[in-house]
This record gives sequence, C-alpha cells and structure tokens, in this order.
Amino acid sequence: MFKLNLKIALRNLWRNKGYTAINILGLSVGMACCLLIFLFIRYQTSFDNNFANASRIFRVVSTWEYPEGIFRSKGTPRPLPPAMREDIKEFEKVAAVQHSSAILKVNLPDGSEKLKVNRAIFFAEPELFEIFNFNWLKGNPSVLNTPNTVVLTDTVARTFFGSAEQAIGQSVIMNQGQPLRVAGVLANMQPNSSFPLNIVVSYKTYRDPNMQSWGSVTSASECYVLLKPGVHPASLQAPISRFLKKYYDGTAPGKEGHLLQPLADLHYNADYGNLAGQIMPRNELYGLAVIGIFLILTACINFVNMATAQAVGRSKEVGIRKVMGSRRKELIVQFLTETLAISVLSLLLACVLAEMALPGLNSLFRENLSFSLFSHPVIFVFMVGLVLLVSFLAGFYPALVISGFSPALAIKNKISQAASGGMGLRRVLVVVQFAITIVLIIGTIVILEQMRYVRNQPLGFDTQAVALVSVPNDSLSRPRFANLRDRITKIPGVTEVSLCDAPPSSMNNNQSSFSYNSTRDETFQINVKFADEHYQRAFGLKLAAGRFLARRDITAEYVVNETLLKKLNVREPADALGKYIVCQGVKAPIVGVVRDFNNMTLRETISPLLLCSRAASYELLAVKMEGKAIMQAMPQVEKTWNEVLPEYVYSSSFMDEQIANYYESERVTGTLFKVFAGVIMFISFIGLFGLISYVATQRTRELAIRKVLGASTAELVQLLNRSFIVMVCCANLVAWPLAYLFVTRWLSQFNYRIELTVWPFALAMLVSITVTLATVTLRSYRAAKTNAIDALKYE
Amino acid sequence: MIELNNIEKYHPAKGIKHYVLRHVSASIASGEFVSVMGPSGAGKSTLLNILGMLEEPTYGTYHFMGEDITSMNERKRIELYRNHIGFVFQAYHLIDEMTVQENIEAPLIYKKIVASERKSRVADLLDRFNMVAKKDLFPSQLSGGQQQLVGIARALVAEPSLILADEPTGNLQSAQAAEIMSLFRKLNREEGITIVQVTHSEKNAQYGNRILTIEDGVVRTDTPVAGQL
Repeated sequence: MFKLNLKIALRNLWRNKGYTAINILGLSVGMACCLLIFLFIRYQTSFDNNFANASRIFRVVSTWEYPEGIFRSKGTPRPLPPAMREDIKEFEKVAAVQHSSAILKVNLPDGSEKLKVNRAIFFAEPELFEIFNFNWLKGNPSVLNTPNTVVLTDTVARTFFGSAEQAIGQSVIMNQGQPLRVAGVLANMQPNSSFPLNIVVSYKTYRDPNMQSWGSVTSASECYVLLKPGVHPASLQAPISRFLKKYYDGTAPGKEGHLLQPLADLHYNADYGNLAGQIMPRNELYGLAVIGIFLILTACINFVNMATAQAVGRSKEVGIRKVMGSRRKELIVQFLTETLAISVLSLLLACVLAEMALPGLNSLFRENLSFSLFSHPVIFVFMVGLVLLVSFLAGFYPALVISGFSPALAIKNKISQAASGGMGLRRVLVVVQFAITIVLIIGTIVILEQMRYVRNQPLGFDTQAVALVSVPNDSLSRPRFANLRDRITKIPGVTEVSLCDAPPSSMNNNQSSFSYNSTRDETFQINVKFADEHYQRAFGLKLAAGRFLARRDITAEYVVNETLLKKLNVREPADALGKYIVCQGVKAPIVGVVRDFNNMTLRETISPLLLCSRAASYELLAVKMEGKAIMQAMPQVEKTWNEVLPEYVYSSSFMDEQIANYYESERVTGTLFKVFAGVIMFISFIGLFGLISYVATQRTRELAIRKVLGASTAELVQLLNRSFIVMVCCANLVAWPLAYLFVTRWLSQFNYRIELTVWPFALAMLVSITVTLATVTLRSYRAAKTNAIDALKYE
Repeated sequence: MIELNNIEKYHPAKGIKHYVLRHVSASIASGEFVSVMGPSGAGKSTLLNILGMLEEPTYGTYHFMGEDITSMNERKRIELYRNHIGFVFQAYHLIDEMTVQENIEAPLIYKKIVASERKSRVADLLDRFNMVAKKDLFPSQLSGGQQQLVGIARALVAEPSLILADEPTGNLQSAQAAEIMSLFRKLNREEGITIVQVTHSEKNAQYGNRILTIEDGVVRTDTPVAGQL
C-alpha cells in the first residue's frame, strides 16, 4: 500500500512540476538554514559537558556591590583558594588557575635556540586535574606538585620536541632564564571547551607581589571547586558568608562577595567570561532557534497554500477513490505520503545546500563546525525529526481538507474554492508569512543602521593610522623604553610615539576608588589609564583646561576628564586645576582636564577618568603614523623593536581594528539578519509566486470575460494584484508593532544609539510592496495577456 | 458597417496549414440581423471572433465602420469594441463572484463611466428585463434562460451598435430560446442594433433577415430570409 501510495505521489508531483519545484525549493532552503542553525546550536551547547563530575564542578567568582551597581569578575583574590580549601568543608577539591602569557624558548641539544614563542600559559594546582578528568598521555597530576615543571598537550609537545615521548624530561625556558622541566603530556584539548590548557605550569612556580593580597583581584586568577557528593550549592550560603566575614574587613567602598558559578554556565555567561574567551550568550542561541522556527514556518505556509490551492484539481480523484471504497483515513495517509516525499526530496537538497554554506558560516563565527552524520548521530535524529515535523505541519491540514470532499460533488467537479480551505485561510497564512518577513526586514535595516552609526560616531580621539605595539614590562626591558621610543620616533612616517598601558578606548579597564580634595573616598570608581607625556598627541586628545602630563616616570600629577568633573559637580574645568586627588595611595594635583572621549565600547557611557604617568605599568607603544606611510613604517617598527628587545616576541595591532573588534558580535548579528531576512524573503516570494500562478489559472475564464467586456491588460493586472497588495499592507500593520518591540529592546543595550524613526518601517513597507508587485505582476501580466478566445472556447 | 475582404485564417499544425476560413468576403450593413449557419467545425465561431476583433485574420482586410481593423493596434481595437460591440455567449460567461447587477455594470466600469450614470443605466436595463428582484443574486442562483438574459443585458448596457452572439440559445430549452430570440428581434427592429448570431438551428435563423452558410471555411450561400417570423 505504501509503495503504491508513493508511486502515485511521485507521479502527481511530476505532473505538477512547477508547483513541486516551488515547494521543494522553498522547503529545502528553509530546511538548509534550519540544519545550519541546528549544527551551530548543537556545537555551542556541547561545550564543557564531557567532564565526569560536571554537575559538581563550580567556579568561584567575585562581586563588589557599589551604590551605582554590582561589579563582577571571574577572578578571585590570590589567597582565596588556599583559604577556601582550609575553611569550607563542603568542598572536596579546590584548585587555583592563573592565566598568563610568557615567552617560551626551546633549545636544541647543542644549546642553540630552536624556537622562541609568546604563548598563553596557565599556572595550575594539581587539584585542577582531579576536578577535571583530562586525559593524560604521559605522567599524572602529581607532577604539578613540584615547582618548575610544565605539562604540554600533544600538539604543543610535537611542535616543541617532535613527539610526546621525546618531550618528557626536556626543558622549556620561560621568560629568559627560568627553566621548566616537561613532566607530563595531556591529550589535545577539544575545540568545544572553555579550557584551552595547552601549556600548564605548576602553580608553585607562580610568583606575584599580590600573592597574599585580598584587595587586589585580576580576572586572570580563577578558582575552581568540586563539591562533595550530595552537597547542594544553595546550602553553601552560610559557610561562604562566614568566610567573607573572616577575610574582608568591610572598609572597602565596594562590598565583597563570592558566588559559585556552575560549570554549565561558563560558556554562556557574558558577565564573567572564561579562559578560552569564547562566550555564546544563551539569548543569542534562543534568537537563532526562533529564526529557525520562523524559516520552517514560512516554508510550511508555502506548502499549505499551494496544496489547498491545488486541492480542487484533486477533487475528482478523491471522489473516484471514495466511490471505489477508500476510507478517509486512507486518503489522509495517501496525501501525507505525498508531503513526505516532498519533504525527503527537500531534505536531500537541503543537505547539499547546508554543506555548501558551511564554510561561510564557519568564517562568520570563526568556528569549525562540521556536518558529519557519523560522529554526531544526533544530527541524523534532527533531520528525521525535521522531515516528520514538516510533513505533519505542512501536510496534515491539506490532507484533511482534500479527503473531506463529498464524493458526489467531487465527481461532478463541483467542488468550489470555498470548500477547499478557501482563500480566507490562505490569506491569513500569507499575511503571517509576510509579517515575519517584514519584521526581519525592519530588524535588518535597524541593525545595519545602528552599526553604521556606531562606526561613524566620533570617539573623541584619533583612531586612524595608530599602531599598538605591545612592549614587555620587566626590570630588564624597562630601562630600554627610552631608547626604543627614540629610535621608533626617527622612522620616516612616524609622527608620534607614546608609552601607555591601554589605548583611550579599551576593553581592559582599570577601575579604582579615589578621593577628591578630601580624605574620604568618593562613592564611585574612576578609570585609571597610565600614559606618558606623548599620549595626547598620539591620540589627538583635546584639552579643556590646564596642560597635559609632563615628563615623569612615576605619578606626580593627574589629568582628568570632563565626566569626572560633572560627577563631582565642578562647573568650570579650570576650577579643578590644582585640586588634589588620592588614588591608589598616590596624592597628586590635577594639572589638566581633557575633553571627553569614549574610554570603553559605545555600549557603555563615558566613565570618569584619570590619566597619569607610571613607567612600571606601560605595556603598549602607541605609534601614530602618517596614513600613507603605514606600509613602509610598520616593518621598520618591527625591525627596530627586535633590535632593542631581541629576547622578546613582537606583536602589534591597529587601533581601528581593535575598535572594530568590540563590535564583532553586532557584525555577526547583522550578517545573520541580512542572510536570514534574504532567505525568508526568498521563501515568501516564491510562495507568493506559486499562489498568484494558481489564482491566475483559477481566474483565467473571468479574466477572459473581462477582457471581452473591454478591460485593458493594465486593468486586469491591477485587478489580480490588488488583493495581494492589500495582504501585504495588512502584514505591515501586523509586523510594525512587533518589529518596534524587538528593535527598541535591541537598541536599548547601546548607550549611543540611533533615533528610531519611521523610515525603516516605511522602507520595509516599500520593499515588501515593490517585491510583491514585481513577483505578482510577473505572473498576472502573462495571465492578462493570454488570448481571451482560448479561455472561452472550450467551456 | 462591416466589410470583409478575402479573409483567410489558418492554424499552422506540424507544418501543414490547417485552414479554418478561406477567401471569405462579406459585407453587413447597419441594422441587419444576420445568422451564420453551418456544420460543426465549419469556421462559424472563428468568423464571429474575427468580427468581434478577438482573433486576427491571417490574410485579408476587415473594415469596421470604415476603419481598417487589421492595421490597428490593440489599444485602439479595445477602444472600438468597448464602444460599439457587445458579446453574448452560449455559456453565458457571467462572472461567478459578481451579482447580477455587478455583472451588468462591469463593461461600464471599463468604459470609465461615472458611478451615478452606471447605476441609472443598470437600473434601467434591470427594469426592462424584469430582473429588478434578482439584481442581488449570483449567477449560480439563476436558471439558464435568466443567466442568458443577464448576458444580453450586459451586452446592451454599453449601448453597442453591433451584438455578436455565439449560439446564444445553445444551452437553453426551446421555450426559453424562443424568448431570447424574440428579444433579439425586438432589439434589431426597435433599436436598430445590428446583430450577428451563430446558430445551428434553422428555426432561430428565421428570426433574422439574412443567413450566411459556411462550410469548410467557405461561404456557400448568402440568402435573405423570406418570411421573417
């Protein structure tokens, strides 16, 4: 029976080649997008879920409550892990990890240098490997109990020493002179992991002046804990608050707190971040899933429209089958078989499309997704599910309608449009489809417009042709800074060189409490940037009062921004000059006020800012060049740098590239919206074309009569188009409020945002009407042009 | 009113010319009531379509009210038949989605006649045809004869000088057919409307004043009707 059904189904599809093509095209494009979205979501949700004790693993994170809000960090004070191990009995294991980077040198047996690289390294306690069951190829966690040992992953061991076997016992020289013995080799880390622990150095090797300081926290020092079996994280509130009371005296402006963040949250929580630096907020995944559902929905709507439209043509067949004794259930099964055949064909095409689009998706997300059924059988399950869902969604209603025809009427070909699901339902479906399309069009316009606005927003400083060259800051390199700066300044094309800890706009911000002209700390924090006297010219900062910093190696004077004065209620910038600020234990006068510039990304507002000199904190060399000279100057900068600092590794980036990076996620969202709006538009409009083809065929006779009565081609085209235009206008009315809600919510995360005007809405309406007109006219013109005689002759 | 000169019409079918009309020449004066007769497939309907400018002849010239139709563009042709020709079909060809009143009104809309005049003309016709009570019904709610009356009313509403009727009574019972034919005769006699009808029925042909017989695409006879009914 099934075989017969399938055969009839395929014949029917073949007979209506045009409609079949439209159905398959729409469905397969929708399915391909769904498939890609699924691959992406599957990959993103697979992070960190293959550890044995995953449900018991937590990260300790820090919070500070200020009057203006909570400040969060994934780091903990360095003395926290040992203290927690001692005090909180509910923890089975506690492990400290310190994220850092180092210059690593590997020598050949004869003592000459084999390679020198700057790599991210992790200082970790052996307990970390008891919490996380990483796979050890050589050695075991206990080797990390000894100072000056290092554990490498297989790939790193191969690059450094040729193979895992050869690596054991060899030495790696860290930061010019500290030899580390390779004591273990780990299996390679999975790409879907928040733990890129490629080079792990024993924690006992780690030295830092703040080793015992509870007041200094960097986000690079993380602490992981393993709860004892059966301990509920909520039950730990009491021990943690006892712990807080014991170690914090409560005098700092921000009230300290520590929370336990579950392992499963690490990859998704943008408040904290993780060691791998890859975050995928769950909201974005949900957003993608919703778009996926929209896509399938629009494709299914096409299908339902076409199927019910064609139903009249099938009525005679239904009548005859019924007279022959077929029951309604059997007819439903038959029509569902047809839908199933279309869905399966579409899926095959969708697989091809998805495979073709995958490289594009990978480069957009900078990920490495693969479409491999064998390593991830869940993909196969998803595809089967998708086919069944689509067949049911798209096939069930038409099957119900068609199988419901009365046989007596059906045989006499007297089934009218009204009985076959009618134009009413189809109109509603088309309106829904268009509403979805229009929401996406508006969303796309607003997102692109906002991105353009952000890019063109004056930042208050010069971003063009500024290279940011990192410089090592230690007792060996610091004395060479002056020489380095002098030599780079002399390179032709270089106009200014400044040493600083961060560019004006940066993701790395140093917040500190301070007092202004009194001994009491202010209730808010200040953003401190360390820079030398050339910083103003290198970045083109403007002064509002006073002068910029003078040449000093230690902090002896401060320059502040206008926002700080506003927050302190100082009206005239000049009034602040000469007043004293105490920050990080240094009391110094204000000598100048700079005009506000964006010191964070444009999602945030400008914060109060303090500029001062401190050679010990410089990490960057900002090289301002003439725009045309960049190509010639950059290699020379690198050459000079390597001559002055031969034992270090050079790296550089450009200011404008860095700023573009802040908006990476907006770029991805923008591209996604462009693509998906395009795809949904495509699906909707081929559906529309199918529908108008059907309507035109249905109304051939009417058109012919009207033509004979004297209607011109233009009038007939207008007649056919009118109802579609009305539908699109309705869809616009439905879509506008939805789109408004969506875009205002999206825009609210930006502090600098476009005014939402009426024109994205108007443009969406214009686009939808134009494309509808074009699509519909294409077909209705042909219908209106046909010879009236042919339509009227064989009545 | 109508001058046909050497009209030929053929359909190219697989390289062979399949002639429908050959060397048809005829002239119809204003006020005539002509019946075109002949066996099936003789080319009667094609001739009527050519007269109604729905089809173009392959060769030959056609002058309508002194103007050469064959060299006219579509826009002008539509203009001509909008103003001068009304069609009546065997299958009525009413628009199912429109009421009686709307069906009759349709040609006036295409003639861009203002709503008030449209209303009065339609009301006038409804009155004349005794269909005022049925004006809001749909075609499917009417009998065949009534539908054809609507069809004729629709043909008349634009006040044409020529009515082309393709077997107007072919789908009707004889009583209804007689009624329709006497209506045609009345229109021809009292209002001077030229009528060309295609018919199979000898009896219907007697309502007219001239019979053209066509066989195999050629005009065989052209005879006046002696004793008009």
